[in-house]
Amino acid sequence: MFSGWNWVAHGLYLLLNFCSLEVSGGLVQSCGHIIPESPVLALGSNFTALCILNESCLDFGNIYANQIIWKIKNRVVPKEQYREINRTVSSVTFNDTSSLATPLTCNILADGQIEQNIYGIAVTIGLPPEKPKNLSCIVHQVLKLTYPMTCTWNPGRHTFLDTHFRLKYRWPQENFPDCIPKDVNNSCTIPDVQFFVNLEVWVEAANALGKAESDPLVLDPIEIVKPLPPHNLSVNSGILPTVLKLAWENRISGALMKLKFNIRYRTIGDTNWMQVPPEDTASPRTSFSVQGLRPYTEYVFSIRCMKEDGVGYWSDWSEEKTGVTTEDKPSKGPPIWRIIDASRSPAFWTVHLMWKALEPFEANGIILQYEVTVRAKSSLSSPPEKYDVNTTNLTLKLPNGTYEVTLIARNRVGASPPSVLLIPATNSKAPVKNVRTLPKDGKLWVGWTAPNSYVLKYVIEWCLVSNSSDCIIEWQNEPGNVQGTYLKGDIKPFKCYLITVYSLYADGQGSGQSVKAYLQQDRPSKGPTVQTKKVGKAEAVLTWNHLTVDEQNGFIRSYTIFYKTVDGNETAVTVDPSKTEYTLSSLTSDTLYTVRMMAYTDEGGRSGPDFTFTTQKFGKGEIEAIVVPVCLAFLLIVLLGVLFCFNKRDLIKKHIWPIVPDPSKSNIAQWSPQVPAKHNFSSKDQMYPEGSFTDVSVVEIEADDKKSFSEQDLKPFDLLKKEKSTSEGHSSGIGGSSCMSSPRQSVSDSDEGETTQNTSSTVQYSTVVLNGYRDQTPVQVFSRSESTQPLLDSEERSEDHSGGADGTSQRQQYFKQNGGQDETNTDRPCFERTKQITPTNEGDLVGFAQLQISGQSSQLLGLGLQKNTQEAALPDVLQTSIEGQTVRPETVEGNPPSVDEMPKSYLPQTVRQGGYMPQ
Amino acid sequence: MAAADSPSAALRRRDLCSRGIRLAGKMRSDVVDLLDTYVERQGLDASASVAAVEGVPAAAVERWDEQTGTQRLLENLAAYRAFRVLLSQMLEEHREQLGEADATLGRALASVLLQVSAFAYHLEELLRLESRGPPSEEGAPPPPAPHLGLFERKLRGLGVLRELAQWAVRSARDLRQLTKPSPGSGSVPSRAESP
Repeated sequence: MFSGWNWVAHGLYLLLNFCSLEVSGGLVQSCGHIIPESPVLALGSNFTALCILNESCLDFGNIYANQIIWKIKNRVVPKEQYREINRTVSSVTFNDTSSLATPLTCNILADGQIEQNIYGIAVTIGLPPEKPKNLSCIVHQVLKLTYPMTCTWNPGRHTFLDTHFRLKYRWPQENFPDCIPKDVNNSCTIPDVQFFVNLEVWVEAANALGKAESDPLVLDPIEIVKPLPPHNLSVNSGILPTVLKLAWENRISGALMKLKFNIRYRTIGDTNWMQVPPEDTASPRTSFSVQGLRPYTEYVFSIRCMKEDGVGYWSDWSEEKTGVTTEDKPSKGPPIWRIIDASRSPAFWTVHLMWKALEPFEANGIILQYEVTVRAKSSLSSPPEKYDVNTTNLTLKLPNGTYEVTLIARNRVGASPPSVLLIPATNSKAPVKNVRTLPKDGKLWVGWTAPNSYVLKYVIEWCLVSNSSDCIIEWQNEPGNVQGTYLKGDIKPFKCYLITVYSLYADGQGSGQSVKAYLQQDRPSKGPTVQTKKVGKAEAVLTWNHLTVDEQNGFIRSYTIFYKTVDGNETAVTVDPSKTEYTLSSLTSDTLYTVRMMAYTDEGGRSGPDFTFTTQKFGKGEIEAIVVPVCLAFLLIVLLGVLFCFNKRDLIKKHIWPIVPDPSKSNIAQWSPQVPAKHNFSSKDQMYPEGSFTDVSVVEIEADDKKSFSEQDLKPFDLLKKEKSTSEGHSSGIGGSSCMSSPRQSVSDSDEGETTQNTSSTVQYSTVVLNGYRDQTPVQVFSRSESTQPLLDSEERSEDHSGGADGTSQRQQYFKQNGGQDETNTDRPCFERTKQITPTNEGDLVGFAQLQISGQSSQLLGLGLQKNTQEAALPDVLQTSIEGQTVRPETVEGNPPSVDEMPKSYLPQTVRQGGYMPQ
Repeated sequence: MAAADSPSAALRRRDLCSRGIRLAGKMRSDVVDLLDTYVERQGLDASASVAAVEGVPAAAVERWDEQTGTQRLLENLAAYRAFRVLLSQMLEEHREQLGEADATLGRALASVLLQVSAFAYHLEELLRLESRGPPSEEGAPPPPAPHLGLFERKLRGLGVLRELAQWAVRSARDLRQLTKPSPGSGSVPSRAESP
């Protein structure tokens, strides 16, 4: 088996080598071939191919037709399509060529199962050409004698094959060479054609699969000519100002065809063409006079032509040429209006006459001058005044009255009809009513209701209302039979216009009726700036300014106030646009609010800046309601307290403000046998020089240790002494004894002494006992009290007895205590006051010697006391220096109390001036 | 004659006459233009007198108004067949002489030649409508081109064009005459209507 296969393979190898040698030798000799060779097949048709093997191959390689395999590209054709015709021929059949592709190969399957290609063909599949349709031709005149004819057609479907089109044409007796399209398959141009002979034209399409011809088109080329347009067009003005004469040259021979024409024209700047009636130019010509034109107007003309009978095509329009008609008289007078300024003088008007320049079609030329005639209607005798003006306005100063103004425009040819404006003294006629506006088509329409009487015409004034510029009035006239018009001006959107309509009569004028309008509205350019005018507890008064007209951009329809707390929802309130103030109510007290305001037009709103405010904690009157009762209550309490204190003054005084007896009024002086009666005292002035003062020192002595003072006990005194040393020496130190008492034993009221002893046993006081008390002999007794505190008891008691002393103004009990730094301040008034009293009580003056007691020697106290007592009896000023300290006697003025008035006890008393510090 | 009797034949005849008249007019216009070009390009004097061209019937004829329509058509056809031959010779000579150097003159000559052919076709069609048909061209073989010098050929060409221009005028008049319904004129319709 293996040897058998090997033999086959070897044989095939030899066969291939043989074939390759044949090829390499330059002789191509394959083992077979295919019929047909490179066929062109119609898409969808059936096709059969034959593969024919060479006999030589059969003998050499045992190759037969039954071994043939057909392939399309690399795809094997199903064997059902094969047919073995004989031992050397195999056929393959395709029912539909659409399944075919290139190449179609014939292959052999040798014994070794090796597939070998025998032959291959290229198959071209396509479609036969369709019959060309819609053949049409046109003859373009390109030169005066050159008339190429271009024919176009529909080539039909794509054939997938190389298809050739030919435009064929012939005369009945003569054939012409075909016209072969270049680069296209649907048109062809015959360079030159002859007219007046019917030409038969058709298209032939041909490819490998067939040939097709269009239906023939028989025509005389003269019937399909598109001639060149006339040229050298010229425009000349004629005699009449409404006529222009055109002339041109035709570029097609009249012998070839007769022409008709179209003439179109327009004014410069206009885009719409007008056309001369075609029937006027339906015959051959080279000139035409266009009539009905406007004077002094530049026109543009253009012309075209075609065959007179209308068979064929219109030429293109010729080049445009312009011409200007000559001038004519102005066709109408200029519209005129006036502005009257009566503010400068009550008796005169400043009349601004203004008129509009005539439109070009009205001016009919260049306006050289305006003639204004002003005639006063009230005074017929005065001649009319004439003014020649080159501008379009004239300002006159006229007395109040009715005037008729006539205006004429004049150009080179003549004058216009006059325009007449009546200026009545008053606008007493019926005005228009219901003036309204409506934006429409980008313009602003103004409408009004006509008065009942006949109106000659209307004048509409308008001006742009702005903060930044003055109201510059524009105006226009409208005939009396209309009740609405568009404003003829540059009306800008978002701007406010003030529009006034006047009705003009033959004999007067109605007053103007105004309305404001916007061509287009927008949101305001900014919002109102809101502020608070007043803020309360639960309400706030907001205030704002209206937006300026430039900021409004439309009619402000409403304001909306938005306010909110920091964390609250925003509340909106709509406000009438006429308001500039609004009160927010139901606010929360003591709360920060943010408020802003939006202004709305029909197109929307815009918000102003935020403004914050805080409501008050208390409402109006609340503070008063609280404070006033509190004050009243306080006052009441104070009053009650005062009353209470007044009622209880004795008790209070007793406890707080005990009366300190005035030692100078002590009975001890009287009591002392050496001391003369109190009225024998010399006056203060006599006793002491001014400025001197006798301090009173009080000696506190421990009741338990009367005889000896320890150093400890005297320390406070030492401190006081030190303080004293820093002062000027006017005040006495506490602890010092300043009694005027003599060394003699004091007489104490036994009752009082017991009381004091009962209440305190630590402090001893000297007690001055008035012997005159209780109907006793008024002998002054100065005794050392054995009593300790409370002084109030003594004082109270003494107060009880010396109440009259307080009521006696003449009497001054002056008890000077060591007041520290206040001494100098307090001394002087007291001193002065004392001086005032002096003249009446000179004899009652008692001097005291103040003793400064050194804390170092308590024993000296007793000596000091004695010494001081002695010295106190002296009428002269006594100055004693102890241990370097200066003791200055000071004088105390006062009336010596009577016996009855003398206090019983030696206690501090209230001193109105100078103060008193209870010990 | 049956064709001539039908309304379509009458329309056809009228149409042929109308277009023939216009073709003659165009031909004359073009020939006049061609004459100017020819004189200029050939370096001739426009006022040069040229002898009658051999083989071309003279356009001028006595008792023109007494001619019948057929006679007119036959004379015209003979003339234009002669012009066709002469113009073809001229075009061939022009091409031999100048090649494609003077294409304008060549195109103008070719255009006139086509118009001459077209006009001859019109005449033949009208004669067919006369029910007698055009005479065959074999009966009148084109005259052989004489062996002439270059200048003589130019003059001969000038003579051909001038004669053609005259024939164009005459042809237009002849066709107008044919369209007139006057029986005395010997027009084709009158004769066609006769039994």
